[in-house]
Amino acid sequence: MFVLAMRSIRQRPGRFLATLLSAFLGAAIIMTFNSMYDTAGQPGVDSVSAETLYTAAGVVGGYGTLLVFFAVASTLTVNVRQRAAELELLRCSGATPAQLKRMVVGEAAVVALVGSALAIVPAMLGGRALLEVFQDSGQVADSVDHSFGVIALMSGIDITLLAAAGAAFLAMRRAARGHRRPGRGRTFLAYAALAAGAAAVCSTFAFSETDSALMAPPVYGSILLSVGCALLAARLLKGVPVPGGASGWLAVQNLRERSGQLAGILTSLILFTAVSTATLTIQRVESDAVEAAGMVKSVEAKNLETLNFTVVGIIVVFVCVMLVNSLYAATSYRGREFGQQRLAGATPGQVLSVVGTEALVLTVTGVLFGTLAALAGIVPFTMVRGDAVVPGQVIGVWAVVVSIAAVATLGTSLVTARRVLRTPAVQAVAVTA
Amino acid sequence: MFRSGARRNHDAGPAPEALRLVKVTKSYGTADSAVTALDGVTLGLGRGTFTAVMGPSGSGKSTLLQCAAGLDQPDSGIVQVDGTELTGGSEAKLTKFRRGRIGFVFQQYNLLETLTVAQNTVLPLKLAGRRVDRARVREVLTAVGLGDRLGHRPDQLSGGQRQRVAIARALVTDPRVIFADEPTGALDLRSARDVLRLLQQAVRVHGQTVVMVTHDPVAASYADSVLFLADGRLAGRLEAPTADAVAERLAHLGDDVTTEV
Repeated sequence: MFVLAMRSIRQRPGRFLATLLSAFLGAAIIMTFNSMYDTAGQPGVDSVSAETLYTAAGVVGGYGTLLVFFAVASTLTVNVRQRAAELELLRCSGATPAQLKRMVVGEAAVVALVGSALAIVPAMLGGRALLEVFQDSGQVADSVDHSFGVIALMSGIDITLLAAAGAAFLAMRRAARGHRRPGRGRTFLAYAALAAGAAAVCSTFAFSETDSALMAPPVYGSILLSVGCALLAARLLKGVPVPGGASGWLAVQNLRERSGQLAGILTSLILFTAVSTATLTIQRVESDAVEAAGMVKSVEAKNLETLNFTVVGIIVVFVCVMLVNSLYAATSYRGREFGQQRLAGATPGQVLSVVGTEALVLTVTGVLFGTLAALAGIVPFTMVRGDAVVPGQVIGVWAVVVSIAAVATLGTSLVTARRVLRTPAVQAVAVTA
Repeated sequence: MFRSGARRNHDAGPAPEALRLVKVTKSYGTADSAVTALDGVTLGLGRGTFTAVMGPSGSGKSTLLQCAAGLDQPDSGIVQVDGTELTGGSEAKLTKFRRGRIGFVFQQYNLLETLTVAQNTVLPLKLAGRRVDRARVREVLTAVGLGDRLGHRPDQLSGGQRQRVAIARALVTDPRVIFADEPTGALDLRSARDVLRLLQQAVRVHGQTVVMVTHDPVAASYADSVLFLADGRLAGRLEAPTADAVAERLAHLGDDVTTEV
């Protein structure tokens, strides 16, 4: 089976590009931040510098692991779903489920190893750049040299490998089980996340204006609330109202029917909007408040700011990769369906407008719930920290976040659909049959 | 049951000839390796006729149907549907031409999986921006025997039932010609017979025009006449066909072509 895995990678490298990209980005980020452990562990590094470096490595390292897992899992799930026919053929030729599982997990492991190997040099450069950022802002002594050692290398490779293999294993298990309604566990988790998020947001009021930990509860509350919304994403799509016009009608029927598959895309959108809007707005309100008071930021506060920006940056990149990948895969897979619509009398323009409407509904739903989750965190924070209820800073941040989300969702869907439409309708229906 | 509904963007009345092809030629591939699929085919089919097109694999049956239906562009020659010439142009233009003039029934049904039986049936009307007459949709679906399955999805239906939905979808726009491409190719004997009877009924009782591509002599025997195609050329015609006569003719199609050349 491993030989088969290697052969399928060599024959069709394009199929693994998305997985490779997620593994590469993930490994690069993990290695970059974990090289801060190596740097801090060198002899002769003073305690303040070391603490800064440890915090950075710890916080982002944890986030990074989770993100790698989700990104690789999302690309692999799509990969397994698209290869259903091939896997079925292997099953008919006598492959046992365990053999198939070994093949897909083997492929994922090889792709993860290649991804982490490619990530080593960029991570070395990235680590050096990150250290310079810390040194420029005076958080780390200038005398400290960057070191890329065993911890960075091993953690990068291990985490990426484990995440990829685990994600492949889960994707196969899910594919074997077939279509299932979301279980009670998921619903329970969703309500638990919403309750915990609400509690975290409310606890903001228990802190005083100058507490250094004031930023934590609203940000985490927002994230939890958005996770809760994301877990209920499939259900949100069922309730979309039917607009007028043939394209709108068809789009909404598709959204309702395929809500399970589209939930992943909606999840990415909600998380992206909530996390980036909440973190960036709260950070800007805090910075402006400090500046207005005429104070100088402490090293600790600066650390927090750098971390906030880095975390948001990482999330933006990852979520964009996931969004673009899953939308591309989902749309390019619909050639046959588009062909059927065209044979039933839809012009290419009508098909594009169906795809556009779907993407628009997804974006609006995702942004709406993401914004609500973000505001739930931002409002308590500004009420405690300043005088306003809704800070002015939120508008600029929100506009940028929403534009990125809209461009990624609409752009990917429409560009992919246009490419798919180049195949004549009769062929599109026959080829993928 | 299949009465003429109100028609928008349409000429006064049906032309006497539902389909006319004049010296239609189509080849695939480039210069050296070009394969001629249609070699100067000329034919005319009257309104209210049921014609089967037969021939061995690679004889150009499917190409003929696709060129006649505006799904593919011929290299040269003229295609007229309902007296109007099918002009070259963008896909959007051709699609608009087909709406209301042409209905399709395919071997693989080509129903949309996300839509119910009723929704699949009204889809061509919705896409064309025409008014949906619910009573008439129900009437057409009842006529094909699916009046109690309006809310089902295609994956809850048998092959024969899906093909009957496809026929209802082709009939609901009241087109001038219905093209059927191996409509019984994936069906068991009984379902195939039901589907063929429905097509026959559409022609005999309600004056529709049906052109059906098939390789099955039994299916062809339901038609009023059979056109034989070999190596991209017409190779004979059989009126009031029986399955045996069609099979006999098909078996000697190769001989005819050699003697002609």
